[in-house]
Amino acid sequence: MFTANTTLMLVATFLPLLGALVLLLVPKDQRRVFEIGSLLVMIVSFLMSAVFWFGYDRASDAVQWAGSWNWIPSMGVKFSVGMDGISLLLWLLTTFIGPIAIACSFKSIEERHKEYYIWMLVLQTAMLGVFITQDMFLFYLFWEVMLVPMYFLIAIWGGPQKLYAAIKLFLYTLAGGVLMLVAILAIYFLQHKTTGGYNFSLESFQAMAPVIAQQSKTYQILLALAFFIGFAIKVPMFPFHTWLPDAHVQAPTAGSVILAAILLKMGTYGFVRFLLPILPDATRMLMKPFLILSLIGIIYGALVAMIQKDMKKLVAYSSVSHLGLCMLGLFALNPYGIKGGMFQMINHGISTSGLFLAVGIVYERRHTRMIADFGGLSKSMPIYATVFMLMTMSSLGLPLLNGFIGEGIILMGSFQAFPWAAVVATLGIILGAAYLLWMYQRVMFGPITATNEKMEDLNLREILYFAPLVIAAFWIGMYPKPIMDVMEAPVRKLVTQVNPDFYKAEQLAAQQAIAAKLGMQGMTAPAAPHQAAPGGHDAAPAGHEAPVHEAPAHGGGH
Amino acid sequence: MTGFAQGLLGALLRDTHLITPQLFLMIVATLMLWPGDLFFNRNEKHKWAPITLVILAITAALVGRTPDGEGFSRMFRMDGLTRGFQMLCVLGAAGTVALSVKLLNGLKQQTVEYYALILFSLSGMLFLCGASDLISVYFSLELMAICIYILVAYLRDRATSVEAGVKYFLLGAFSSGILVYGISLLYGAAGGTTTNLADLNQALALTPTTSNLLVFSGVLMVLIGMGFKVAAVPFHMWSPDAYEGAPTPITMFMATAPKAAALAAFLRVFGAGLHGVSSDWVLPLCYIAGASMILGNVTAVKQESMKRLLAYSSIAHVGYMLLGVLSGDARAGAQAVWLYMLIYIVMNTGAFAVVIYLQGKGEGERIEDFKGLGRKHPVLAFAMMIFLLSLAGIPPLAGFFGKFYLFKLAIEQGFVTLTTIALLTSAVGAYYYLGVVAQMYFREPEGEAVPMGATSVFIVTLACALVLVATAFGPWLVDWATKITWV
Repeated sequence: MFTANTTLMLVATFLPLLGALVLLLVPKDQRRVFEIGSLLVMIVSFLMSAVFWFGYDRASDAVQWAGSWNWIPSMGVKFSVGMDGISLLLWLLTTFIGPIAIACSFKSIEERHKEYYIWMLVLQTAMLGVFITQDMFLFYLFWEVMLVPMYFLIAIWGGPQKLYAAIKLFLYTLAGGVLMLVAILAIYFLQHKTTGGYNFSLESFQAMAPVIAQQSKTYQILLALAFFIGFAIKVPMFPFHTWLPDAHVQAPTAGSVILAAILLKMGTYGFVRFLLPILPDATRMLMKPFLILSLIGIIYGALVAMIQKDMKKLVAYSSVSHLGLCMLGLFALNPYGIKGGMFQMINHGISTSGLFLAVGIVYERRHTRMIADFGGLSKSMPIYATVFMLMTMSSLGLPLLNGFIGEGIILMGSFQAFPWAAVVATLGIILGAAYLLWMYQRVMFGPITATNEKMEDLNLREILYFAPLVIAAFWIGMYPKPIMDVMEAPVRKLVTQVNPDFYKAEQLAAQQAIAAKLGMQGMTAPAAPHQAAPGGHDAAPAGHEAPVHEAPAHGGGH
Repeated sequence: MTGFAQGLLGALLRDTHLITPQLFLMIVATLMLWPGDLFFNRNEKHKWAPITLVILAITAALVGRTPDGEGFSRMFRMDGLTRGFQMLCVLGAAGTVALSVKLLNGLKQQTVEYYALILFSLSGMLFLCGASDLISVYFSLELMAICIYILVAYLRDRATSVEAGVKYFLLGAFSSGILVYGISLLYGAAGGTTTNLADLNQALALTPTTSNLLVFSGVLMVLIGMGFKVAAVPFHMWSPDAYEGAPTPITMFMATAPKAAALAAFLRVFGAGLHGVSSDWVLPLCYIAGASMILGNVTAVKQESMKRLLAYSSIAHVGYMLLGVLSGDARAGAQAVWLYMLIYIVMNTGAFAVVIYLQGKGEGERIEDFKGLGRKHPVLAFAMMIFLLSLAGIPPLAGFFGKFYLFKLAIEQGFVTLTTIALLTSAVGAYYYLGVVAQMYFREPEGEAVPMGATSVFIVTLACALVLVATAFGPWLVDWATKITWV
């Protein structure tokens, strides 16, 4: 039924759930068992998943390790799984963050340990499931299941406003999710009308793109909006972001880490996986508003972050800004933009988790997160100050660290497609540097108070869970090629699906270059705009600009 | 004359096998009410509930064994739809009876009439599920409803119970009047020859355009009358008061069995009888369904009493189920509604069992009483959480599959806007269901933990297990529902 690799993938995905079921049998007061047990489960799951990093065939853009099993035949629902490079990266990010999120909870969770670790494990399986499914029904199932554990994590172990924050998160995402469900069903029946069969598989949904493109404009736009709102709430894009600061501030540290590192990526993943390939034409029709919302997110998030007094809230708003940048990259619809967007997802997962962990550390020690309560911590906590600095630098995009790579590629991609947007985005990056450095300065330097002087530096456990993040940040920052390679083929396939003109234009540019060499520029040049025009749609982004900027840059890449 | 009488008797005897379950129920219930201790010992109060449960089990077996067919001058029809919904009614009644014991014992109100009335009412429901003539629809509806009026006012020394009964009775009688008037208009419009649903469908198709208004008013009145019975907005005003005032098991009864029967009638009257004139009722029914979802869910948010919350949420659930009635494909619609109703009955029984359990200790009326239940009774709270999340339709719980199947059908039939409303309002629903979950888990308990009582706990556990099983087998349940056939 499933090959050995597929089975291993399923085991790695469902191992946390299994662990949760086993822990359910352990008596409540065995605190250590829950902590160590769930940590072990997460680590084993991570080790299993690491195998796939090495086994991935980087040359192919197909879904690998695919397996499928008829689940509800009358509706065409299959339990089908598999991963391509894009899913693989996020899947690995999830298994990577899992142990860290558990390890950081040992001290901060002081009550109801059993429930806490069980919910964490259940959450992990639900999140991993989202990234491996190749069936829309299954995807929706995992997407919604994820909410319940997150709701409990925030509502039980959260801050003073936890109930409000938890229900807000739940309702926002649920509302987005059901809109997405309507869109999924609409495509499902459209498919039934055209092919006669019932099928929920992702592949068949993507194959519907040409059929959807022939439907009325209103139909396409409504479909795209339903998907867009569903995913944009999760990302979150302006103006759907208001749940995020509440949820982040109220959630326990591990909750914030998972929220930032994984849950938000579900939204961007949704865009990459569903909206762009299934509704390419509608996406291009709505490109202007999408871009503007992304840009507002970047600038607004940064400006609001700047005035925050609470460190956690500051980091939360920085997420809005960073994910706006990520969306900008995705909407550029060219390889650089999408790769950059993917990169930014992973980087944000690493650096923002790091920042939330860092905030969690001082909160554990002083039970306050207000910037004004701190100052001069670099004197009493030198190791902490170093780690915090690395994470800050990684978040603001200092060269040699991971953030730089992502931001750089996004700007390249968006400059190819929409130069003006890239300019605005740069402003957001500068603001990002400003608020992060300002926070760092106020917390780490300046006069130190007596209470802060007594604060303990990181202990071994804390150093151990920061270490993987720091290593990953340096590794990606200095040698991003392995990750690039993994997403190369799937991104190329995605760009062909969503923006076929891009490669046409690229070919044309290559021809032009050859022609120019041969000194026949006069013959080919007039033909160029003419050829690009029929394929170009209203807002075809790369159609006209691409040849000019693209030819030398991209030619070198291959 | 004798020939006619013999013919009539012969016909009656020939068709009797179609209504064995109803006959059985009526005979047994009559025997229960027999004066003196002839058949049932009136003093052995604690035995009545088990006896009734056995009677219900036999009824279920009889329903399963009754063959398909049509009889009594085509007034009653036994088919997949009838049998499916009859089973649901029996299930709802069984839950009610099982949960009644403790509460009635506590109130010293245990009488045999209570159970007999439930059985009489159930026989009305079983008739209603298969009624294929407007006249038999009306008769069985009344048989069902009159018993419930009495049951609602059963706690006669409580002002709220009596008030609820009177309110329900007045509005119910009023709506029956409207229903009958609608039936008479349709009868006239169809040429005054038939009230049989299938014939009516053909006759209405042939009516001249001049009588369009007549047909429209008739259809609308029938719709209003039926709308009252299922408590759809704007004909729902009686239901929160009746729910709140009635003894809690009866509240649960009203939310499950009669709703199932009335929806079966809804499906048959509109899907078969008035299918040809669907242009007359689709739009009003769309508004009714949409309004039920919106008002039911939005009003439930503000409730402080658990029973009222469940009342408003049941209005919303009826709104969802009306989507199935709207379906142009009547068969698929019936399947979707049946599946939804099945899951809804199980979840609701479970939720009410928790309420009744708490009520036995003087709590459970207000949502606040659920405070800290997670600490006091982890099992009970966990089960309640499962019921509530399932009612909210959170995947992968059983309630989600019910909703999914229904909404999928509605989108297929082109009711996209209405389905979007349904989905968004179900998100609102999640808000108040989770509010209760929040009370149970995130608030500190007041008072000491009390050991759990037996019967309700059994029901809670059973219902929870059923929901979980239905969750695990949800997809197959969907396949199974497609077996409900109906010509």
